[in-house]
Parts: sequence; structure tokens; C-alpha cells
Amino acid sequence: MNVQRLLDIYAIMERLERESAEGFALCAVAAEFTALDGAGIALMSESDALTSLCTSNFAAGALMDLELTLGEGPMVDASRGDAFEDTDLRETTSSEWTIYRSEAVALGARAIFAYPVRLGAIRFGALSLFRTSPGPLNAQQSSDAYLMASVIGRAILAEQAEGSLVGLAGELNGESMLDFWVHQAAGMLAVQGSMSVKDALAFLRARAIGVGSQLSVLADRVVTGATRFDSTTREWIDETAVGHYER
Amino acid sequence: MNRESLLIATLVELADNLVDDYDVIDVLTVLTHRCVDAVDVDAAGVMLASPIGELQFVASSSESMTILELFQIQTNEGPCVDCFHDGLAITNHALSESDGRWPLFTPRALALGFRAVHSLPMRLRGRTIGALNLFRTHQGTLSEDDVIVAQGLADVATIAILQHRSSLDASALNFQLNNALNSRVIIEQAKGMICQSTSCDMDEAFNRLRAHARNHNEGLTTLATRVVATSIAPNDLDIWVKTIPE
Repeated sequence: MNVQRLLDIYAIMERLERESAEGFALCAVAAEFTALDGAGIALMSESDALTSLCTSNFAAGALMDLELTLGEGPMVDASRGDAFEDTDLRETTSSEWTIYRSEAVALGARAIFAYPVRLGAIRFGALSLFRTSPGPLNAQQSSDAYLMASVIGRAILAEQAEGSLVGLAGELNGESMLDFWVHQAAGMLAVQGSMSVKDALAFLRARAIGVGSQLSVLADRVVTGATRFDSTTREWIDETAVGHYER
Repeated sequence: MNRESLLIATLVELADNLVDDYDVIDVLTVLTHRCVDAVDVDAAGVMLASPIGELQFVASSSESMTILELFQIQTNEGPCVDCFHDGLAITNHALSESDGRWPLFTPRALALGFRAVHSLPMRLRGRTIGALNLFRTHQGTLSEDDVIVAQGLADVATIAILQHRSSLDASALNFQLNNALNSRVIIEQAKGMICQSTSCDMDEAFNRLRAHARNHNEGLTTLATRVVATSIAPNDLDIWVKTIPE
């Protein structure tokens, strides 16, 4: 199992955390990890509009501004579903976003790669990476980019549940993907509390931290009906003793 | 139906599916059902590798929580993980208390009544992308023929993952794997909503989702996405009746 690459992400996070008073920026982690020339992360609002979360350098910032101003480009498309790559912005035959492409080349980008940041049907936004030279990503960079996008999804979830990325690396460690019943529990909780699945997942995570439980353990309790959320009182109800926060 | 006709029927059905836009989870689910029918096993499941090379469950012949749990354990250890890492088939491995090879997986599988396991690699141009698991509740061996048939179905499953891509470089393959894994998560989220809304179990929630998708000629993942987005209410999904063709 190539868990080493995941550990490499944490190592970058921890180093950047030490080096900066404000903590690490996810886009700096993404740029360094994939060894490309810049990275940007955009978040999707309820109305499907993108806003910039962060960019790793000046060029990445300019590319982000360009895309958000035009309302077209790789991140806009990736945030709606599929990953996207253009390995040579100058030689492309596509008729899509012609303005974006020519402006992006003027800003120094030659190849651009964008990935959806999502957890199932929950769309958080997109990660974009660019390079000043043309050509496809190699196999390692390609799988690294997908891995980075999935870590960003977890990081954004953590931020929404708690407003902080402190301790994220520790939490993700050994639990890169969520157990399938965490997603089932989020779906159940969404109906119980009349909220979106996205909010339900953040809510579930916040509750797990609040009661000192593992997310997967609390999720298992929700799926089996041992714990539920009461929509009228807006309170969590434990139907069975919480001493059993253990799977 | 004898096995040859069953296999031909399966291939025809899949060829039909693979021509049009198809839902990869649905196709893989059909395949796992066919494995159970054709190779004399009691449960079958497909696991695919995530971006870090960790196996994730994507489809099985039974959606019951207990079976899914077995697959979940296998993200850490088990026949599927070993098969995936070595790229080699594991056949006719009899489970027993004294076998210390998979200390988490074996006791759980035994408790659920399984007595033998098999795992076949899903390989594509030198890269192993996942594995097909076969569980049996009785001892006894799969014949060489059985293994060939099962490996054939595993190869078809591999092709199903590719969808419409003719050229398949590393990034295109990552794209397809990632979409398949994410589809599965969407389905789990929708199952949770359906369970809660209609007071059913996860098995029934999946069957209902699948029945509605088939009745209305809609992709399973597309429909699950609509459930999560609340553009269709779980109560408005068609009721599942056991007679739907698998």
C-alpha cells in the first residue's frame, strides 16, 4: 500500500505549520507535493459559485482571478464533476474557454490540471495545478494529484466542523478514506435534522470530537439507531449507553 | 440455465450495457451476482484501489451490512489485500480458527458462516487495479474451470471500469478509478437518506435505488446524486419487488 505518499503530505503540512505563524496553506502543500509550478483551491458556495480559498504564488493567484472573473475555466468545470487536464494550452484544439486559455498562457501557464474536491455527492470545490512547460503528468504526479484532492476534501470538512486545521494530520493518519457507514450515517442524519448531507457530515464530525469518539464509531451508532438527532429539540439523543463508543 | 448459457447471457447483457452510457457500479453489481450464479460461491464483491493504493469496496452481490463490513476489514488485511499486492490469485483458501494469516478478517468471516475464500486480481496492462472476492459458506474446492470462469468475469469487470476510454494512460485510469470509488460513496449517502426516510434497511435502500434507476432508465449514480440533492424524495422512489431481473 502506497501510504508513504500520504505520510509525505503530512510531513509537508507539519513543516509548513512550524515555519509560519498563520499555519499551513493547503495550496502550498499541494504545489510542493505534486512538484508543479503552482496550485489554487476554490470553494463552492451553496449557489454553486466559486470563491478562492488560497493560491500558492502570484501566478496561481492571477490564474484564479482570471477564472473567477470570466466564470469559465478548468476549476469551474472540475468543481461540477469531472477532472480536467489540458497538457498544452497553446496547442489545444478545444474551442472551450478560448479567452481563458490565451490569458492563462500570457500569465505563464502552459499545462493545467484541475480536480474535483468532493466526498460522494458533496461538492466542496476544485484543486487546480499548473506548469509553465507543456506535457502530461507522469503516473506518480497524476495519482498524487488525486490523493491531494481527497486530502483537501477532508481538510475542508474539518474546517467546516471546527474552524481549525490543527491536528488534522493526526486525524487523517491511518484513516485516509472514510468508512462506508460514515457516509450512510451522514445521509441518515441529513434526513433526521433536515439539513444537507454536507452539513450533516460536518455536524457528525463535530459531534464525534465533542464526545471524544472516533467518527466511524459515532457513525456506526447512528446507522444502528443507538444515537440519533432530534429535529424538534435540535439535540442528540443516545438511545443506548454511550459507554459503548467502541466498535 | 447451464453455466455456458449463463455466461453467454451475461456477456450479451454486459455488451448491451457497455455500448450505451452505463453506470459502472450497476455493471459491477450485475457481475458479482453472475459470479454467485456461475461459480458456486455464496457472495462476491469487487474492491478497487484508491489513490493511495488502499482497497475500497465498490460492489457486491449482497448489500447486507455484515458483508460490507467484511469488505471494510479488508481495507487493512485479508485475501483481497494480499491478492491485490501480489497480483496473484488466491484460490481455495479454507478459513479456520488456527489460521493466523488474517487475524481480523478470519474470525469475522467464520462468524458469518463463510468457510472458504478466493480472490482474483483485476489487472490492466501490468497494473493491478483491484480484486474480485468470492466467499463460500461450505468447504470444498473450486475446480480449475471455475477459476477460469471467475477470472474471466474479473477481466470483464476490469473492462467495465474503463468505460469509453480507448486510450488509457495513467491519468485516464486514475480518473476512472476515482469516479468509480466516488460513485460508491454517493450511493452510500443516498442509502442513508432512503433508510431514514422510509424506515428500511440498507439492503432494501440499495435495491429500491437500483429498481427505480432501471425502471426509469436512469444511471444508478445519477439517481443517487439526485436523492442526495433532494431533487427526488426517497418516498417517491419505486418500490422494490424481488422479481426485478438482476
